[in-house]
Amino acid sequence: MNVQEYISSGMVESYVLGLASDEERREFEQLCTQHPEVLAARTAFELALEKQAIENAIAPAADLKSKIFEQIGRTGKVVSMQPATASVKKINWAKYAAAASVILLAGSIYWNITLSNKNKSLQTTYNNTVAELSEIKKDIQTLTGNPNVKMAAMKGQQISPSSYATVYWDTTSQDVYLLINNMPKPASDKQYQLWAFLNGQPIDMGLIEITEKPLQLYHVKKAQAAQAFAITLEKKGRTDVSKPGGDVYVMGGL
Amino acid sequence: MNFQTTYSEQELVALLLERNEKAFGYLYDNYSGALYGIVNSIVTDKEIANDVLQNVFMNIWRKIESYDATKGRLFTWMLNIARNAAIDEVRSKGFRDSQKNQSLSENVDFAGAVTAPAINDVGLKKVLTRLKGELRVLVDMSYFQGYTHEEISKALNIPLGTVKTRIRSALIQLRTMI
Repeated sequence: MNVQEYISSGMVESYVLGLASDEERREFEQLCTQHPEVLAARTAFELALEKQAIENAIAPAADLKSKIFEQIGRTGKVVSMQPATASVKKINWAKYAAAASVILLAGSIYWNITLSNKNKSLQTTYNNTVAELSEIKKDIQTLTGNPNVKMAAMKGQQISPSSYATVYWDTTSQDVYLLINNMPKPASDKQYQLWAFLNGQPIDMGLIEITEKPLQLYHVKKAQAAQAFAITLEKKGRTDVSKPGGDVYVMGGL
Repeated sequence: MNFQTTYSEQELVALLLERNEKAFGYLYDNYSGALYGIVNSIVTDKEIANDVLQNVFMNIWRKIESYDATKGRLFTWMLNIARNAAIDEVRSKGFRDSQKNQSLSENVDFAGAVTAPAINDVGLKKVLTRLKGELRVLVDMSYFQGYTHEEISKALNIPLGTVKTRIRSALIQLRTMI
């Protein structure tokens, strides 16, 4: 094929103006990829046509632009009804991406607040735990760091066999500590009372106000001498607390 | 202050693919007049021509994915959308207005209107008036009225080969004129 002849045959113009048949169109597109001259001729005619059209431009109605942009805004919302699926996907993608980023941002803010709250709560828990731990350490130090501390393991009696409590008695300072290992929570009108036994005689060591804290070490009254300890369950508000009146829950000797 | 941005055709297409309204506004500002010119040379009623141009821009907005830069410039693509939309409009109107389908040869409009150049002929159509009468009719029928070569051949009772040759020859002349 003579390319120059082809170029000057009117085929270039026919193609650009949209007058070529499908077959001619395919052939032309093929030749454009093979012969730069054909492509150059096409571009030259396109530019000439464009220049001519712009020079002979006629202004459309003044409100047309706003009408078109209004329609664009509307079609954005009913975009799924448009037949141009490719463009629909494009629009949706952009809109969904924007929506997704807003959701992500909102989620991220919410998550940050949640984390911050969680963090604060963890910090509080941590502080409390450290404080408790240091108390327990101190307790352990008090009880085990001193060779003069004697221990009385008080076992559950008939009324409550599973109960268990421990008394630590520092024989030098005479301080007495009670550890409730496992005892039922007393009814609201009752409370536990610790007793020391010396020669079979009970000595009041104090009323125990049970707390919720696990492994709570109760610092009770000092004991000068004792051979055994016991806990009884007594009615609240007794006038004379020097003698036990209720059931013995736990008891143990030194 | 209004700073006019200019885009290369490649940038413009990329932005249109992203459905960038600013780029679309630029496209409208720079090409609506040129496209209206071509629409106006096919659809003479101003109101209808504006409606057609609106549809043209909506189609550009929606179908930018179908633009293939390897097949031509963006303006060429838009120009063909405008031309086709205008021809479709004229044809649908023709169907509405005529009680029955007129055969092409009975269509008075097409032999008459083009031979005598109208005062409002502008742009390509004005260039067309410089063509010899016979060639002018062929280009007008084919480009401005959208008839296929086969239809023209039947309508004017000219062999198909001759229609093709003459239109090509008319296009070659047109090229030197624009």
